Amino acid sequence: MTVEDLTRRYGDTVALDDVSFEVEPNEVFALVGPNGAGKTTIVEILECLRTPTSGSASVLGHDTVAEPDRVKERIGVVPQSFHTFDRLTVRENVSLVRRLYDEGPAVATILERLDLTDYADTRFAALSGGYQRRTGLAMALVSDPEVLFLDEPTTGLDPAARRATWDQVRHLTDLGTTVVLTTHYMAEVEELADRVALLVDGRLEAVDAVDSLVEAYGGEVKLVVETGEDDAAVESALRDAATEVYRDESGALVGLFEDRLVAQETFGRLHELSGDRSIDLTAAGMDEVFLRLAGTTLDSRGEAR
Amino acid sequence: MRRAWALLRALSTDWLRNREAVFFAFLFPVILLLIFGSVFGGGTGEFGLHVQNNDVGPDGQPTNLSATFVDALSETGALSVSQVDPGRDVAAWSEETGATRVLVVPEGFAAQVRAASADARRAVIVDTLARAGTVNDSTRAAVRDQLPANATDADPAVVRFLAASDDEAAPAIRGVVGSVVARFNERAVGVDTPPARVESGALGGQNLDGADYYLPALLAAVVMINGLITLTTVVAEFTADGTLKRLVATPLRRRDWILATVVQQSVLTLLVTALMVAVAHLVFGVSVVPGPLAIGLLLLGTVGFAGFGMALGSLVDGPEAATSLGMAVALPMMFVSGVFWELDLMPGFLQTLATVLPLYHFHRGLRRLMVLGTTEGVLVPFVVLGVVAVAGLVAALATTTWRDF
Repeated sequence: MTVEDLTRRYGDTVALDDVSFEVEPNEVFALVGPNGAGKTTIVEILECLRTPTSGSASVLGHDTVAEPDRVKERIGVVPQSFHTFDRLTVRENVSLVRRLYDEGPAVATILERLDLTDYADTRFAALSGGYQRRTGLAMALVSDPEVLFLDEPTTGLDPAARRATWDQVRHLTDLGTTVVLTTHYMAEVEELADRVALLVDGRLEAVDAVDSLVEAYGGEVKLVVETGEDDAAVESALRDAATEVYRDESGALVGLFEDRLVAQETFGRLHELSGDRSIDLTAAGMDEVFLRLAGTTLDSRGEAR
Repeated sequence: MRRAWALLRALSTDWLRNREAVFFAFLFPVILLLIFGSVFGGGTGEFGLHVQNNDVGPDGQPTNLSATFVDALSETGALSVSQVDPGRDVAAWSEETGATRVLVVPEGFAAQVRAASADARRAVIVDTLARAGTVNDSTRAAVRDQLPANATDADPAVVRFLAASDDEAAPAIRGVVGSVVARFNERAVGVDTPPARVESGALGGQNLDGADYYLPALLAAVVMINGLITLTTVVAEFTADGTLKRLVATPLRRRDWILATVVQQSVLTLLVTALMVAVAHLVFGVSVVPGPLAIGLLLLGTVGFAGFGMALGSLVDGPEAATSLGMAVALPMMFVSGVFWELDLMPGFLQTLATVLPLYHFHRGLRRLMVLGTTEGVLVPFVVLGVVAVAGLVAALATTTWRDF
């Protein structure tokens, strides 16, 4: 998959600004960024659902504007706000999409693989959000796609459903499928992605392997301190020693350290200040990379803090 | 074609499980048929009218011409005529009986009609002679001389319609009487013998009632409602909730989507037609059955309205807006096109407007084919609906989004 100088404007708004990257076969490629960063726009251009203002994109060697039919035959798609026929059952919805392709596994096989057999005769509208997403994945897999696009596949799912989705993605990559996913969950990126493209305001800030990005931008270690009444003293001590300080999704204070020794000394000082409060000393990750590159962190809805 | 067939199955299943769609597609038209069939087909449908015929001969019997006039009133099917004895004081009689309306045929009615029509009859004779050769003064004199002695210029016979001021039906009855008088005058010109019977109630050699009459009109209206309201809403719903977007990401083509939708609507039309014909037959004993041409016209209408329904559904944001837009287009068209009542009852400009609406030609064509059993006059409906079908498909192709939602 190749994206070259891709730009997309909506009137005066620039949704994508000269973005270029490549996706290798059989890798999980993550597009991350806050809401409105341009993740979905890129994915929809690759899915032949959107036309770029300039630049080009090709999937499996086919241009997404000039040869959409060739592309669509070989990809699977789970859109961001996935929806299908409410009044058809899971089996009927999956069967419908199966018939739109020339080849693919039996519907029963797909349903079984995704643990949907027990819900096969349940109407889509009656399913929980997790099973609706799973139905979407089943519909995306009916053609044994070479490339699978997952646009925020776990947004709104409970932890168990999220883990189940991750397991499915790993299984697919084991089978040789290339996966492109968008997400604003950094844990999801760390869990699944081989490489990641980080987008902010339509611009590509970085694209590399997850480990390389963490190594380059994440810092050595981080201290995570749960909040309390005397946050000011703790925060002040943390800011004196850390290279970056921010609050994570749960509101805990996070300090990043380039030097592990300094981090360990600060850990001891904070223990004295914070009493019984929980303090964790862990390795840095994509959250920290995102903070460094985007200058902000994301909340659970994907909004910049 | 395989993809369109797969989608057709899915769309049909989804539609049949959609309660609102099923209501408007099947139950709503049946309810309308039952209402209109009962209101306009079950009763006598006649207004009562008392007639006093004072034009009697020496033997006390009504003259031929006056009796024919009274018979003509009865034979309109709109009036239930009862006789009032000649010579009675009508005002006193109505006060006594409580009657609110009475028509008085004057003494000397027949003679006056003949006399008043002398000029016209003379003109007819002179015109006939003129076509054969030169007409001069002596010829005109000869014509005048050959007319009956009483055939002189005279005032027309005056039939008096008397009604109580609070009789709400009086204007309508006055209109019926007026039309009979007009027809009577027309027939009286140059005719010495009483006019022929007023024709009614035997269209196409069948015995038809209100339900027969309304069935084709309701079928046309239902096809339009399904296309412009229900389908518009469904397409907008599929567009708004992402169902269509999910399909667009597959190898399904735009033409497959339009083909499947139009065919699904056509199947729906055939089903609802069968249902309504069956209900009309079972409940009202209606005997009209759509033949191949009527079905062809129904399908042309279906394609046209479905095409425009898809176009409207693609242009608006959300199903609520689509329903409102569909109703804004469909309902005025339904009422102005004369589906529920004859155009004659509407103002002239609305009658003119109706003739440019496809629904007008749709139900008029169906009525001719199904009720009158004739192909005469159906070319225009076929041409109009054919143009609408092509335009609808072009509109659907032009507006259905397959990229850049």
